[in-house]
Amino acid sequence: MTALWPIALITFKEGIRNRAIYGITLFALLLFGATALVATMIPQEVGKVSVDMALSTISFTGLLLVLFVGINLMAKDLDKRTIYTVLARPLSRSQYIFGKFLGMILLILVTMCVLSLLAMAAIFLLKMSISGYFTRFSWPLIGLSIFLTILMLVLLSAISFLFASFTSSSFITLVLTIITYIIGHSISGVKALVETPSEVLGFGVSPVTVTLVRVAYYLFPNLSLFNIKLQAAHDLPVSTSYVAWTVLYGVVYICLSITLAAIIFRKKEFP
Amino acid sequence: MRSKLLVLVFLLLAAFVHILSLGKAVDARNQLPQDDSDTFVLPSPILKIAALEFQGLASDVFFLKTMVFIGGTQQRKEMPRVKEWEWNWLVKVLDTATDLDPYFFDPYYYANAYLPWDAGKAAEANRILEKGSRYRDWDWMLPFYIGFNDFFFLGNDIDASAHLMEASRRPGGDPMLASLAARLAARGNRTETALYFLEEIAKRTEDRGMKKHYETRMRALRSLLFLDNSVSRFKKTFGRMPASLDELVNRNIIDQIPPDPYGGTYYITQDGKVRTTASSELEPYLSPEQKQIRQ
Repeated sequence: MTALWPIALITFKEGIRNRAIYGITLFALLLFGATALVATMIPQEVGKVSVDMALSTISFTGLLLVLFVGINLMAKDLDKRTIYTVLARPLSRSQYIFGKFLGMILLILVTMCVLSLLAMAAIFLLKMSISGYFTRFSWPLIGLSIFLTILMLVLLSAISFLFASFTSSSFITLVLTIITYIIGHSISGVKALVETPSEVLGFGVSPVTVTLVRVAYYLFPNLSLFNIKLQAAHDLPVSTSYVAWTVLYGVVYICLSITLAAIIFRKKEFP
Repeated sequence: MRSKLLVLVFLLLAAFVHILSLGKAVDARNQLPQDDSDTFVLPSPILKIAALEFQGLASDVFFLKTMVFIGGTQQRKEMPRVKEWEWNWLVKVLDTATDLDPYFFDPYYYANAYLPWDAGKAAEANRILEKGSRYRDWDWMLPFYIGFNDFFFLGNDIDASAHLMEASRRPGGDPMLASLAARLAARGNRTETALYFLEEIAKRTEDRGMKKHYETRMRALRSLLFLDNSVSRFKKTFGRMPASLDELVNRNIIDQIPPDPYGGTYYITQDGKVRTTASSELEPYLSPEQKQIRQ
């Protein structure tokens, strides 16, 4: 653990210094501004729409962070050949990967906390000015939704590490991570759709497709589990067991991905 | 110095040409043959998957689309202001918005405010509202809306009464709902009952535009009620139907015929009922099915 910490810290600092993070923050600020603007146009459920927009902004900004800052952090060492100097130190390759990942978690945590504070401030101000339109509203659920979003982002980041461990360019890692994100959020919907009986669906789905979708369902992470924005926006009940199983699923998936990444990275030949 | 001036002139010129070319290009684009993609809404199961983790946001966007559309039609001069295919599109978009987020109240609110009245689509409105009532099981407003549409547009008093009872059982449901349900069972004067309903809806509407919308309807209904009562008085006094509404004025039953807020003219039908020529706005009030049900 002591060996990991310096790497984690360097990774975090490098991430914070990245110019892209300014762009991402500016984008998030614009979106929070848009929240206030759009919410005032809504005749009734202002609270629902503002929570929707704030949580979506947090999620989307985090996604940009993982895709455009996170993947670069990993790739830079390889592209600039700085990895040789790092690995020349008394440090195993898996320690290097774990350290990097720890730094990435730190980066996600810090930026998401800043964004969440901004988002909550935006919601709070709106709520103060027009509290009558916030009939079904719950701060704890908003917090829970943000927590699950952070877990989702860490998971996505772990997968990007896995891809980075065997691809030769950061662009391929980026594309694969985006594909995983899209599949991860749509796979349970697609599975439900293809498993619907053809009489209900109105058209038949070939058994090959159904099998393929089922394989993908177990292979790719089910990211929609971490999405409780709708429940948070309407103050709908979320059971403790749901949260517990989802967190367990997320943590196990993260551990699996990052361990696999370390194993592959150990065998990797550098050019 | 001169080169700086040249750059400045170039920039100003470029800015001017930029604005000019943008305007011209957009104008020319509007002349191009258009597809009718605006009338098409992707099926909800596909949209639900395509929206990824942003279903709630997608629902908001679809709802905003309907708001922009309704706002745009208020500026139109031609009659009818909204074409049939546009109403059908609106039904689809509201249905989609509520599929993406079935707990979102505003699309239901809009569906109830515009579909039965302006579009004459009470059955479609109720289908969407039923979905809302199923999901928002804490909300008494939705079964209340359904009950009103059942009663007023679809002429189905039994369903209306059941929905009102459901509304009165939910938290916040007013005791007046139960008395309304009783009124329906008694089959009294329909226009009067409708007014009673509308007054309750208007009281709970805060949006100013929407409130005006309901108040205009109430004015129209009050005039109808007033004229209906006057015709009955005429009948009692003279033992026959008046030949026209003007006869009510001539015989001093009333001072004047109230204006129709929708710009139509009131007239008496063969069977002595008062109607208005502004049929597009109060179309459901005159629909043949309803007349049949009432007879």
